[in-house]
This record gives sequence, structure tokens and C-alpha cells, in this order.
Amino acid sequence: MGKSLKLFLNIIVFLSVLSCTSKREQAEDTYERAISYPQGSMMSINGIKRAIEIDSTYEQAVYELSVAYLKRGLPHKWKPQYDKAVVLDPVTRVPWRGYLYLWFYRDYKKAIADFDASDTLTPNFVDAPQGHSVDYWRGIAYLGLNNYEKSIEYFNKYINLEIEDSGEDWVELTAFLYRGIAHYESGNNEKALDDFDKQLKYSRNLSADAKYYKSLIFIDNDETEKAQQCINSAIEDFNLGYFNSRPYVETLRQIYIEDLNQLKSEINN
Amino acid sequence: MKRKQIFKILGGIIVIVTLVIVGFSGYSYYQYKYSLIPKNKPFTQSAHYINPDESLLNDNFKVCNENWILQYYNTQELPYPNGKNGFRNYINTNYVNRNYTDSGYLNIRFIINCEGQPGRFIIHENDLNLEPKVFDEDLKNQLFKLTSEIKYWKPIFLRGENRDSYMYVSYRIEHGKIIEIIP
Repeated sequence: MGKSLKLFLNIIVFLSVLSCTSKREQAEDTYERAISYPQGSMMSINGIKRAIEIDSTYEQAVYELSVAYLKRGLPHKWKPQYDKAVVLDPVTRVPWRGYLYLWFYRDYKKAIADFDASDTLTPNFVDAPQGHSVDYWRGIAYLGLNNYEKSIEYFNKYINLEIEDSGEDWVELTAFLYRGIAHYESGNNEKALDDFDKQLKYSRNLSADAKYYKSLIFIDNDETEKAQQCINSAIEDFNLGYFNSRPYVETLRQIYIEDLNQLKSEINN
Repeated sequence: MKRKQIFKILGGIIVIVTLVIVGFSGYSYYQYKYSLIPKNKPFTQSAHYINPDESLLNDNFKVCNENWILQYYNTQELPYPNGKNGFRNYINTNYVNRNYTDSGYLNIRFIINCEGQPGRFIIHENDLNLEPKVFDEDLKNQLFKLTSEIKYWKPIFLRGENRDSYMYVSYRIEHGKIIEIIP
């Protein structure tokens, strides 16, 4: 009996040692269990809030608590929570906020301000929120403002650096597409065509967007037959799912099947 | 004597095992029930919850499964009737800027039930810095009327069935003009 008691006490001591985790570890554990529930559900947001109570400097949890509000159209609840994450980790969250302003609020000026601020926060380092360089995102934001010169300037910066570091085949395909659109909308059809061809080169010749814009250029050049071929091919690509889009929100200059059909009927008439 | 000792050891083991099981069950129950609940002001609803009693156009509106209302982005296609282009054209054609001076985001959230009917609307008004503000009443009523007059939206289709989902439309407005419609 004495031995059994000794064994039992040893188990208790062992379990106690195991449970002596730091605040951060406890917060992380709570957070991990919280995010196993659907995002935005009561259990999820309560668990994340509890993780923050355990460790108020746990930035990942502070940030995550804002996300459900972002995706649900509740900006007045998203912003104050996100701002707390910015205080804890400005290096990550300022350019990230730029990305969110760009897509979820279509606030191009605020997005650019945040991307610019990231240059100051991390000099000699190009931040890449959501996996893409801030130069790429700036190219899109300036296109949103119809500032073609700046848009092309940043796309050039992004594309040239990517080619230098890894090669042209590593360039994000939509950078060619969007730079092409910036050229096209600013009246430089020749350079636009180069970019659309480049996008098609690296996407196995599948892109409804690139072909749609090429068709527009052929119309400008009075090359009706080529325009017809291009738009027919664009419709095929679209129906196969090869068109530019993004999750949660409509993308910039998103094309729809009705745009393609309308262009087709205009060419045929 | 030997038999007595064996009983003692067995008894000890049973007590230990029982204690471990009780302890583990208690710990699991605590983890499940209480450890995710904040001590200060826990949330009593999900982030997207719209209180039916505070919502607009909820009379006669029914969701198909009150316990499982998804989000509009749970499937790839946005649920706009006649596509995003169609919706944008409808709004831009019918909206009249009556010399409004407002700027900000007028967000209208609602539920699309599994039959595609919208209901349980709620309006959120914020300025361009995402701070709460009050829009011109006529502007607000006009956009609410236009948005809520659409009687059919595309319900999301998941696991072989149409489902209820939360949806929102955000109008980015600058000096009374609609600049963007999100998402």
C-alpha cells in the first residue's frame, strides 16, 4: 500500500510539472483550441478572447479576433481590434493592413500609405504581405486610382527584382496582366500586348483576361479576324475557369462572361 | 496474509485508476465547457449574428436551418442576382445622388435563405476612416430600399443542398456618389 501511495504521489508531481507552462504557452494552447471552431463562431471568438486575457501581448490572437469582422462587413468592429495588433507588431501588420484596405475596403490611398510606411519600418527589405511584394500590391493600388504611371513603375520594380532574384517564370502572372492593363488603359497598346503575351506564355496559353484585352487591342488595330479568334478563345478559357478572381471579394478589373459575350457580339456586328 | 496484501494492492490500483479517470474527465469537461470562456464580458453570440428582433424585414422571413447559417464566401461564386455586373448596373442605374454630401461605408448585412430569399437586414454606417457615423436619412433609405427590393439572390450550394448564408453589401460612398460596391 505504501508503494502504491508513493507511485500515486509521483504521478501527481509529474502531472504538476507538466502543467507548469508559461502564460504564452497557455495562451497558445487556448488559441489553438479556439480556432478549431468555425471562424467567427461564439466558441471561436470567446476562446481567442480568453487567450488574449491570458497573454495580452499574444499578437496572433489579437489579430485573429479581428478577422471574422473583416470578412463579415463589420468595419467598426474590425478596425479597433486590428489596431491593437498593429501596436503589438507594426512590422507585420502595417503592410498587411495595406493589403486589407486594398481589397476589403477598396481604399487605395490608405493601402498605399501603409505599403509606403512599410518601407520606413523595414528599410532595405521588401515586405510581402499575403505572399506578394508590397511593390506588386502598390502596382494594383495605383491602378485602382487610375494612376498608370505609378502603377507601371511599381510593377516594373516588382517584376525586375523577381527576374533578377529567381527568373521570369517566378513572376506572379497577374503582375503581367495588370501591368498590361495599365499600359492598355494609358494608350500604349504595344507594351500592353507584350505583357498579355507574357502572361499567356507562362500560363499554358490559358487566360480569359489576357485574351479579352488582346481582342480589344486587335479591334483598335482593325484586325477583326484576330479579335474574333481571341474573344472566342477567351470565352473558352473563361468557361474552363481560367479567369482572374480572388476569394471573398471581386478582384480589380474583374471580367465576367457577359463582358466577353458583349465584346463578341460587338465584333460580329 | 499474502491474500490480504494482494487485495490491498488491487484496492490501491483501483483507487488510483478511479482518481485518474475522475480527474481526467473533470479536466476534459472544464476544457470543453469553461476554459475557452473569457472571464471578462464573454461573447453571447457569434460575430455575424443578427438579432431578429432588431433587424429589418424579418417578418415572414424564414431561414431553413437556424443552427447552420454559412457565409456568402463558403462557395466560390458571389451570390449577386444576375452577377456582380448586373447588381452594379441595377444600383448605379437606379440610385440618385440628391446632392448628398456624405462619405463613408454604408453596409447592409442580411441573410439569404436556402431558397434565395433575403431577410433579417441590418445597416451599419461608418465614415471613410471606419468610424461610426450617421448617413443622410434619405440616402440610407434609398440604398436600403434598392438593396432589399431584390427578391432573389443565389443561395450557396454546399454538400448537395442549397444553404442559408450571411451576406453583406458595402457601398463606398464619396460625396454622395457610389464609388465601389463590395464584396
